[in-house]
Amino acid sequence: MLSKKGVDFGFILRRYDVEIENKGSPEAIAKKLLPKDAVFKACAEDVLYMRFKDVGKTVADALKSKKPLDVINEGLVPGMEIVSKLYAEHIYYLPEIMLAAKTMEIGIALAEKQLGSARKTKGLAVMHVAEGDPHDIGKNIAAVMMRAAGFSVIDMGRDVAVDDVVACVAKEKPFLVTGTALMTTTMSAFPAIAAKMKAKGINIPFMSAGGAVNREFSEGFELGIYSEKAPQTPPIADKIVAGYDWKKVKAEWDNIVKGV
Amino acid sequence: MASITRYTKMAYDKADDIVFGHAKHPVSYGFGIKVGAGRVIPELNYAPRPGTEKDIARITKEYVDYISQDAVNRAVTLGFPDLQLETEWISQMGTNSKMAESIVSGQTALLEKMHDKYGINLAIRHTLPDQREADQGLRPKMDKERSYPERLIISAEIACENGASLISVESMGGKELLDYGVQMGDITACLFGIGYLGSLDMSWLWPQLVDIAKKNKVTPGGDTNCSGANTSMFMAGGFLDNDVQRTFSAITRAIASARTLVAWECGATGPDKDCGYEGPICKTIAGKPNAQEGKNCQCAHADLQGNLMAQICDVWSNESVEYHSEFGGSSVQCWLGSLGYEVALMNTAIAFGKQKTLRDLYMFTDRARGPEGYILAYDNAFKIGQAIVAEGKNLYLRSKAAAITAAKIIRDGNKKKELPLTIKQKDVLEGIIKTLEKLPDEESKFVDYCLKQYKDVPAFNPKNYDL
Repeated sequence: MLSKKGVDFGFILRRYDVEIENKGSPEAIAKKLLPKDAVFKACAEDVLYMRFKDVGKTVADALKSKKPLDVINEGLVPGMEIVSKLYAEHIYYLPEIMLAAKTMEIGIALAEKQLGSARKTKGLAVMHVAEGDPHDIGKNIAAVMMRAAGFSVIDMGRDVAVDDVVACVAKEKPFLVTGTALMTTTMSAFPAIAAKMKAKGINIPFMSAGGAVNREFSEGFELGIYSEKAPQTPPIADKIVAGYDWKKVKAEWDNIVKGV
Repeated sequence: MASITRYTKMAYDKADDIVFGHAKHPVSYGFGIKVGAGRVIPELNYAPRPGTEKDIARITKEYVDYISQDAVNRAVTLGFPDLQLETEWISQMGTNSKMAESIVSGQTALLEKMHDKYGINLAIRHTLPDQREADQGLRPKMDKERSYPERLIISAEIACENGASLISVESMGGKELLDYGVQMGDITACLFGIGYLGSLDMSWLWPQLVDIAKKNKVTPGGDTNCSGANTSMFMAGGFLDNDVQRTFSAITRAIASARTLVAWECGATGPDKDCGYEGPICKTIAGKPNAQEGKNCQCAHADLQGNLMAQICDVWSNESVEYHSEFGGSSVQCWLGSLGYEVALMNTAIAFGKQKTLRDLYMFTDRARGPEGYILAYDNAFKIGQAIVAEGKNLYLRSKAAAITAAKIIRDGNKKKELPLTIKQKDVLEGIIKTLEKLPDEESKFVDYCLKQYKDVPAFNPKNYDL
């Protein structure tokens, strides 16, 4: 092997990840953001620190003195919002998001049990992976992020036929349908689904995503909008429930996903 | 049925003996192609344009008259002596036999004609589509709806009977656990998924593929853990990404090497699949030709070891490019130019006796760019190979040994200031070492633990693996 003695590797590469690492701790950032009320704070902290084995007891205790909806909206959800902030600041990574979301969902399920019904979410999205395509990890992550952001999701899974997606959308009446594809020849299903939705008078946005998909393709057919990566899905969904149609999402896409 | 012989010895005495363009066990196939026999071969992969899959005549024209013809013309135009094409089957080819037959036979006929006309050495790899879904069943008769396990075997027969030079597959066994492990940061799930379940699945699949290939005088190449370790690597990404720690993805890569090796243990001869970044480790063990991708596959993706991956390859690939127009010609022509000139540089180094110098330069440019490249540097790959063969007969222990060895190589590299790591990367690495060292030494205890621990992982069905 060649000797590397005296070689300046800084001349060859820069490890920006080491140079720009955010050394902030979750505790320091969370301190300013956690709820003041001790009961809600305990719920939020279980989510923040991913204590999925403890959250059941914490929520059960909270429900003795607080209303179920308040436990969700003032305890569990704020905890998840801090997690999202830590993720945006590169302090938390994907596993933390997934474990925190799991913790929050356990807590919400308990609170909803006492409530007697499912809480009202921001809206329902239908998500699927294109027919012939077995790669679903991106869709799964986006689904978790959507749920964590307060949306309901019908996850149709992978390798889903065009007509099955259209039928599900017609029946469930979501505000958004998403499709993910890793292969150029499976993503052809997306404009076909959008066209069939249009023919049925369904004009909700169709979001395309996945390795094979690009913005030009996604926005190249009626109803089509784009998501480059999973964390962009909730902010786009927020705009749609706020009244944006597919044309407005398309026009303002750069601003909507800025920094995400 | 082809027998399985596990590797318990290294093919090479020392890491320094391994270079690009030479393998201990070279192979010949197609129209004059020799791999690992003294020079590196460029391999061009491509994807048809969306919409062309709608009818057989149109998709055949896309593959044969446009993609393949463009590629051979450019290879001749630029004076490249060798060209290997790779058709990664689109999903429609896996379910429509007539479409597959038309494309496979059409491409082979064209290559034969061009070989006869110009004397250029040509071959074509067909990569079969493994569309099996864990929740529907990975073995025959389990998937009642789409029969994907049966279709995979039928695809191999179609490829081999209609003119493939070489077959490969990106097999999917264990992916459900790997996906879970990557998302949750659970290295044990990855070890169980790709190291154990993936190896069991390949031990079922590959003897069949080898038999079909041999019956038709086709070369059985090899596999890749594209569906597993590449998922981990791409999610770990580069310096601006924050989904998966790169120390985590590096360990999944080491585990994947113990799994991808299984194809060769079942009688596949190489070259393995270009997208299996675990290839350098496999080559140190088996001495079979290694296909790889890196700097010249930016059309498909970026990674942190673009030069390093060329260090000991025998086939050099662009991963995949969608067919479309560029200023310099069609996309396949442009990327073949990039590939072919890189290969010409490697072969010039061999011709001048400087292959070890170029190998080391390739390796050093990326050695410290990230932990995955660090463990794949040929000297470290050799150490991981040694750890695997020391436990060669036990699929669990060898995967675990690969993981622990890789983790300690990274830790040592960081301690001696050769490989910088972030605090988070170090924390995750230490957690991995701690977790792996706590795992049992007995395979049965490990399997019992995992069956209980991961019973609720979506799509996981132990029956897929005869467990």
